[in-house]
Amino acid sequence: MSDFDKRVKDELHKRTTEESNGLKDEIWNELEKKLFNEERGDVRKLKKKGRIISVIGVIAAGLLIALSLQTDTGSAFIKSVKDMFAPEKEITQGTEGQDEETEVHLNEGKDSEYIIYVDETRYKMIKGEDSDVITTIEPLPEKYPEVKMEITQVANEKPEDLVKKIEAELKADFPELREIENVTKPVEGYLLHGINGSEWDSNVVHLYVISNGNEGSFVIREDYFLEAAEGHGARFHFMLESFEIVEE
Amino acid sequence: MEIDEWIVTIKNGDKESFRHFYNAYSESAIRTANAITRNREKAKDAVQETFIRVYRQISSYNSELPFDPWFYRILSNECLRLLKKEAPLSKFAPDLENDPSLSGESFDQLSDLYAIIQSLDDAHRIPLILKYVKGFSEKEIATILSLNQNTVKSRLFKGRKRLKEQLNPAGKEDSL
Repeated sequence: MSDFDKRVKDELHKRTTEESNGLKDEIWNELEKKLFNEERGDVRKLKKKGRIISVIGVIAAGLLIALSLQTDTGSAFIKSVKDMFAPEKEITQGTEGQDEETEVHLNEGKDSEYIIYVDETRYKMIKGEDSDVITTIEPLPEKYPEVKMEITQVANEKPEDLVKKIEAELKADFPELREIENVTKPVEGYLLHGINGSEWDSNVVHLYVISNGNEGSFVIREDYFLEAAEGHGARFHFMLESFEIVEE
Repeated sequence: MEIDEWIVTIKNGDKESFRHFYNAYSESAIRTANAITRNREKAKDAVQETFIRVYRQISSYNSELPFDPWFYRILSNECLRLLKKEAPLSKFAPDLENDPSLSGESFDQLSDLYAIIQSLDDAHRIPLILKYVKGFSEKEIATILSLNQNTVKSRLFKGRKRLKEQLNPAGKEDSL
């Protein structure tokens, strides 16, 4: 470092240190109030989320029984599980370090097993026989690797068993696959994350295995590429925060 | 515990890890925010908001990429957002590469090095702050500010040149 660089560095250090006195504790006190007082609410919300499946199931079953007892056409009143959720809502997505207001639309998964809000300005949901895929509205140009989030239900395998099988399979394409992680956000379950290089277009797999509320699992697999991690990767994350399993 | 481990535990809502992370990152963040915003209250707000975002959005961070540029990108954006809020005509403009005047401030009247740095336009001032306060490389500054690396190189060069000229009007660079 030249004398000039050192002089500039020392001067900035001196002046910014003087101006920062006392701020560290002041900010921490505010953070404690904002994050951890509110966080108690969040924790309640998370715990509640575990119960939401059965609560929704009970409400839906109750409504169905009540309506079918009253009228033969009771089932016509509940056209689908979608009726129980707002058709659209606005969310704030923090992508690439900046907040972005996005309108997301309610989508129902295969056989109404779950709901998810999809950013339909960028993505579409394609329902398949065995799984549903959320992908870009227009296919990306050929030079880009595939970008998609695929949701599959595996009804007869528990997450703790399934995640190990998937880990073994993924290691073939992603030798440096990270250890299985337990996560609570955006969904509660297991996370597998792998990347097969360090180039802009290296493939990234980001995969969650979560309970389906019974004896099975949901597998949510995101595929994108390294440069898209803070774009598509972050948007998948925010869409996934709205994922709810719906039991009949 | 290192940042990679903190990230895993913060993702699970661990307050203790977040506190350690805060202790490790807050001082540099506050000094950087103070230098960018030139205002203690704005710096406080920017740093506070940055840590809130990190806590709430840590799951969207891709751990294959370096953490510090991601963190300082959020901080810089927050500082710039607050600056723009007060002064809609911010001097942080991307088209200043060929503007020889750099800033409208009168350098002739400045002798204090810090005041000279702070009188530069944002396009040259902020890369200098990131370089000297936190020691970021040109590549990292480019990531933080979403700029081309050559643009950063050029802005740092012009910013440093201007500082030298102001500190040493007679051109005695050797003494610097």
